[in-house]
This record gives sequence, C-alpha cells and structure tokens, in this order.
Amino acid sequence: MTEPIFSAAHLNSWYGRGRERKQVLRDVTLSLSPGEALGVVGESGSGKSTLAKCLLGLVTDVEGTLTVNSPRPQMVFQDPYGSLNPAKTVGWILEEPLRAAGVKDKNQRRRRVEEMAALVGLGEEHLSRKPARLSGGQRQRVAIAAALIQGSRFIVLDEPVSALDVTLQAQILRLLADLKERLGLSYLFISHDLAVVYQLCDRVAVMTGGEIVEQGDVDDIYDHPQHDYTKKLLAASLALDG
Amino acid sequence: MRKNWYLRIGGALSLLMLIFCAVGLFWTPHDPSAISAADRYALPSPAHLFGCDALGRDIFSRVLQGAAATLTIALAVLAIGAVCGLVIGGLCGYFGGAADAIVMRLCDAIAAFPSVLLALVVMALTGAGRYHLIFALGVLFIPSFARLVRGEFLRQRDLDYVKSARLMGVSPLRIVFVHILPNTFPVLLSGLTIGFNNAVLAEASMSFLGIGVTPQDPSLGYMLSEAQGYLLKTPWYAGFLALTTILLILGVGLLGEGIRSETGVEA
Ligand SMILES: Nc1ncnc2c1ncn2[C@@H]1O[C@H](COP(=O)(O)OP(=O)(O)OP(=O)(O)O)[C@@H](O)[C@H]1O
Ligand SMILES: [Mg+2]
Repeated sequence: MTEPIFSAAHLNSWYGRGRERKQVLRDVTLSLSPGEALGVVGESGSGKSTLAKCLLGLVTDVEGTLTVNSPRPQMVFQDPYGSLNPAKTVGWILEEPLRAAGVKDKNQRRRRVEEMAALVGLGEEHLSRKPARLSGGQRQRVAIAAALIQGSRFIVLDEPVSALDVTLQAQILRLLADLKERLGLSYLFISHDLAVVYQLCDRVAVMTGGEIVEQGDVDDIYDHPQHDYTKKLLAASLALDG
Repeated sequence: MRKNWYLRIGGALSLLMLIFCAVGLFWTPHDPSAISAADRYALPSPAHLFGCDALGRDIFSRVLQGAAATLTIALAVLAIGAVCGLVIGGLCGYFGGAADAIVMRLCDAIAAFPSVLLALVVMALTGAGRYHLIFALGVLFIPSFARLVRGEFLRQRDLDYVKSARLMGVSPLRIVFVHILPNTFPVLLSGLTIGFNNAVLAEASMSFLGIGVTPQDPSLGYMLSEAQGYLLKTPWYAGFLALTTILLILGVGLLGEGIRSETGVEA
C-alpha cells in the first residue's frame, strides 16, 4: 500500500488563550491518498479553514498526530483579494516561490513563470500587473500558479471558487481537474457547496461544529447519507439546484 | 474621479517651499553673514529685497540660508526616526513576543516625556550644534514611528499573502522587509508628513531657545530669536521667517491630509 499524502488522527485545535480559549477542531481523523481529491464540506464557521491551516502548520495550538509526506504542501486561500501581495506584480509574485526555492538564474525563473502562467490560462500581459488590476478569476489563477510553481504535489484549496460567479466557478473547477490529471496532484478541497465537491472530488468528509460526522466516497454519501447533518446539507443543495 | 484638492494644493505648496529651501543650500543673493554698517536696518530695495537686519545683513539671503538649514535638519531627523522606527516597529510587529513587549514599553516611556524637554536635556549634555540637534531629535522621533509601523505589521502579518509566503519557505526577514514593508508605505507616508512638521517645529523651538544650532549655522528658529530683538524696527524680518515656516508646515500638512484621504489611512 502506498504512503498517504497526509494522515491526521484525533486532531484537536483551539483559538485564543486562557479563558478566551475556544476549541475549533474536535477529534478530527482524516487522510488523503496520492492522486486523490478529498472534499471537506460544512457550514460557515465549522472549522474547515482551521483544519486546512492545521495540516500546513499555520495553526500552533494543536494536539493529536499528524504526518504529511508531501514536500512543501501549498494552499490556495479562500479570498483571492487577500492572498496575493497587493504591492507586487503578478510576475514578481510567481517568481518569489522560485527565489525562495533557490533558483538563482533570472532567465530560468522567468521561463518557468511564463510556462506556469500559460498552464493556468494567464497571458504575458497579466504578469506586469498588480493584483488589484485583475478580476477575481484571474487572481485565483495566479494563486493556483503560485501554489504549483515550486513543484508541490499536494495542494489545499480553501473554497477557491466561492468568491466567483457561476461561470467562472465552472472554468476554475475545470482548470483544477485538468491540472490534477496532468501533474498528478492530490487535493484537499474545502467548500460549503456539495455540488461543487461532487464535480471534483473522489471522497468527501462532512464537518460541523469542528467535528467530522461522516466521510466516504462521494457517490455513497450522496446516495446514502447516514448523518442527519449530511441529509440537511444535501436537501439544501438540491433545493438550490432545483 | 473625485479631485483631491488637499493633495494638489498641498503637493504644489510643498514642492514650492522645498525648492525655496533647496535654493538656499546653493545660492543666496548676498553673503548671508556679511556685515555692513551702512546698511543697518535698511528698508526693502531692489538691492536688498527684504531690507537688512541690525548688523546690515541681507534679510532675504538670511531667510534662504535659514530655510535650507531647517529643511536639512528636519529631513535628517526624519530619516533617523523613520529608518530606525521602521526596523524596530517591523521586527517587533512581525515577531512579537517578549522582546516586542520590552521595546514597546521603552518607547512608551520615551514618548511619555515632552520631546522638546527631553531633547533639551540631551543638548545640555552634548552642547549645541547641528549634528547634536539632529541626533537628539532623531532618537526622540523613533518611538512614534516604531509604534506606527508596528501597528501596521500586526495587521498585515495575519493576512493570507503572508501565510502564503511562509508556506513557500520565504525567510522571515525577507517577509518583513520585502513582502510586508511596501504595504505599510501609505501609513508610513502619512506618518512622515506629520513627523516632518513636528521636526520643523521642534528644531525651530529649540533653536529659538538657543539650544539648537550655533550662530554660525543659523536656522529659521534661531533667526526668529534674533529678529525678535528688533521687532519694531524691521517687523518684516520676523514676518518673513514666520511666513516661510508656516507655508512649509501648511504645505506638508495639506499633503499629508491628501495622502490620508487618498489611501483611507487613519492616523
Ligand atoms: N484567528 C482566529 N482567532 C480566533 N478565532 C478564530 C480565528 N479564525 C477562526 N476562528 C473561529 O474558529 C471557527 C472556525 O473558523 P474557520 O475559519 O475554520 O471556519 P470555516 O469553516 O472555514 O468557515 P467559512 O466557511 O466561513 O470559511 C469560527 O467560529 C471562527 O470564528
Ligand atoms: Mg474558511
């Protein structure tokens, strides 16, 4: 059996200190196999982003066991307006991960940036712009390119399409599915929208109140939801579609 | 787009005054310290645009020279305060922890005293002179900049672009000075305009009190204390000095107001 990309067992996590300390994750057990896309769904405030940050070591107050077997896992953040440095150009933002990885040759970096930009559907003309002069969809493409450019194979996507309108959502989802095939990526895909998860993911974990109440193959969960909360989510998502 | 008149008028006035001050660095119509008994209290004339003072020195030349001195001192003070404040505030804000708590307490302590009073004490120890003045005021300007920059770093360090840089393995110092720093410029710029005016006023008051620059190297404040001595004979001397100071401060103040309304920065 191959090594999982990550495996987390009995994770608990808190925000705040002292009397303000509030538990956000409760006994979360989850793992991801290579080449798999695992969806995490749940309502706002259920702890999805916190789980993502735990996996990447961005949250400090954590208990439990966690192993990550993929070098330099990256994250595409929820809000494409806050995740790109507003003071820098897109070209600089995409070059920076290469500088951090020790690629000294400027020409080599530029070439790599252009390749990656083309791969996510950005043109040469976008590279000299600052993020403020890009649309939401274009920003999210930049964030995806930046996450991939160091060659990372495990990407956490935190509601990458929630801030976009429906046509753009479909475009970005197609791009993500395409990149996953081409580059052999593994995703942890966070969303509050079951329909979106259904399009992209192999497995799904349902979260509420910081707990995972149900997880399994996407089809199983859709056809035979066990937990009441999952049934409620499904009903809500069907009501929206219908 | 809405026109920002603060920015326009402030920018134009600041530029004008900057040029005026800078001219004094390189050129004056007469030697500003040349004494001439025949020209004592001379009235304004084509030869002496603003007349002469009690020693027969050309007032226009003296104001130009004083403005240049005041400008260079204020800019040097600002440079010390801003650069040190930036480094200290940036590191404290990003890294936090015990060092941050200690440094900020120290800043509070310095800021609790009226800065001119503290500078007075320093000058009493070191003696008068342009470089001592720059040093004393510069150090006193550090805390306010450190606090300003720290606050901005505290806000920025939790933004996703910083987390993203950390995930990519960018070194902490590079995150502080290359990633976050440029995003604090709007706040810093606004702080610089306030600081500039404070520096001009602090320099003027100290030199006016006779504990700033030396008589051989006069500034606007020092000259004002001279002009005060014969306010009735040549009122335009003091008037011209005051006008120069006021226009300089007004221009930069308006510019700061314009920057704040343009960028939505608060303090
Ligand atoms: N930095 C923080 N400090 C304190 N509490 C926080 C912090 N970030 C999140 N929380 C709290 O932790 C809980 C979980 O937040 P989290 O961002 O993980 O939710 P989420 O499932 O991602 O929600 P959303 O769908 O709105 O993004 C929320 O109650 C939130 O208020
Ligand atoms: Mg979230």
